[in-house]
Amino acid sequence: MTVLQPVVEWHEKDPDIFLVVHPLDDVPEQKVDTAHLGPMPMTASVRISLMALRAYLVLMMLLVLYHVVDLAGILSVR
Amino acid sequence: MNTILENIQPDEVKPRGRTVRTRWARNVLTFLMVSGPGLIVMEADNDAGAVSTYIQAGAQYGTRLLWLLLLLLPITYFVQEMVVRLGIATGEGHAAMIYKRFGKWWGRFSLLDLQLVNFLTLVTEFAAIDLAFRKMGFAPQIGVPISAAALILLVLTGSYLRWERTVVFLCLMDVAWLWLAFRLRPAVGEIVRGATLPSVPPGGLTAGLVFLVIGIVGTTIAPWQLFFQQSCVADKRLRFSDLKWARLDTLIGACFTIVVAGCMMLAGNASKAHGLSFTDPAQMAVDLGAIAGPAIRTGILLLMINAAVLGTTAISLSSAWAYGEVKGWPHSLQMPIRKAPGFYSIYVACIGAAAAIVLIPRAPLQLIIVSVQVLAGIMLPSAIIFLQLLLNDKELLGERFCNKPWNNRVNWAVIVLLFGLSLVLAAQVVAPNLFPGN
Repeated sequence: MTVLQPVVEWHEKDPDIFLVVHPLDDVPEQKVDTAHLGPMPMTASVRISLMALRAYLVLMMLLVLYHVVDLAGILSVR
Repeated sequence: MNTILENIQPDEVKPRGRTVRTRWARNVLTFLMVSGPGLIVMEADNDAGAVSTYIQAGAQYGTRLLWLLLLLLPITYFVQEMVVRLGIATGEGHAAMIYKRFGKWWGRFSLLDLQLVNFLTLVTEFAAIDLAFRKMGFAPQIGVPISAAALILLVLTGSYLRWERTVVFLCLMDVAWLWLAFRLRPAVGEIVRGATLPSVPPGGLTAGLVFLVIGIVGTTIAPWQLFFQQSCVADKRLRFSDLKWARLDTLIGACFTIVVAGCMMLAGNASKAHGLSFTDPAQMAVDLGAIAGPAIRTGILLLMINAAVLGTTAISLSSAWAYGEVKGWPHSLQMPIRKAPGFYSIYVACIGAAAAIVLIPRAPLQLIIVSVQVLAGIMLPSAIIFLQLLLNDKELLGERFCNKPWNNRVNWAVIVLLFGLSLVLAAQVVAPNLFPGN
């Protein structure tokens, strides 16, 4: 990561003066180039984490749905 | 996929600033310029659902759950601080990062989850606005459309700064919760005991208490916050050198939001002390107002509307930013409508549809609100895992912005806590008699 043009430090010219620039008024910094990085390497641990996460999410969504329906009284036997 | 930087024409960036003569003034001014996203994300988290959940906690358990808020303070800060680092290092939003680093499937899955929870939450925000306006004597055909129109106009000016300053002002209005809490306060000793001595309230570990605790965690640390703050940091174009000020902004926001949440619990505690029972916070405001005075009634109702407005603009923006990032649309509050039509359309559609739904049927507000908070609590562990993997991605962040070992230890503790609460909820659903009834 390199900074294209840092905030100008005016106090280097005059030690008694500091220039403060709002982020929106400053020259944009060069951030990390994510487009050329591609997907994260799928190591075994990352793959297992994501599979476990998928199973967890499906299970939890079904349980929450059941719980909300149950709380609403839709499943209660009359 | 367009980034915010690519969307900005070079002639739009004209370096200019203010000169000051002391380091102290420079630091204060820099902080004021950088701050905003942290305060907004934290205070917007005290939305209508949070008002309802915290007041309900106070009404049921008095000051006995205040310690839980203090426990959540460092957790909410550490989680959001990671998002700040990610946003400053990459200059892109959270949805874009998940999409790019974990592939299209997880990118779209995360986006769908976010949109679903966000939209349900937006419905509860407008339901709360509707309730509060009704109690103030306005017809629902007036209060909800006016709020929706104001929320849409808020972002259509094509100026990030105008939006941020307005929303920060609304955040600071929440200081009024301190006045309300002062008026309704119990004995100071009771507050200190409740805040510092973790204990299970009388009655033991009931199903209602477990559900409420998960709801409090779900409302204090919500998935949309991760997406919102990272996109907000990217849209504001915070620089590497701004990191320490953005951290301070987030810390101040976290402290403020926890204090305000505690004040909401104290308001609920006052209704408990007077033996009031209510179905929603607006009803509590009316009942409590009859005892404590009309200022209390009006104050709670106005703050309820303010909370819902804050939540609505932040949540809708998190949806619009995330959608724009994944779809590759231009997505910045700095852009006029003609340059980012998709981004603004999503924002307007979210608000318009949620407001319209509230105007048609009469849904059980309390049930929806608590359910949404719990749903968000369930979704959060997955969002945190993505965050954890991204913050350990040295290829992406380099050594400077990557998690340090202590960051990882804190984050894993948070993940274990959140998964543990989710599993408790799952166990309660599978075996309803696991905990005693309410």
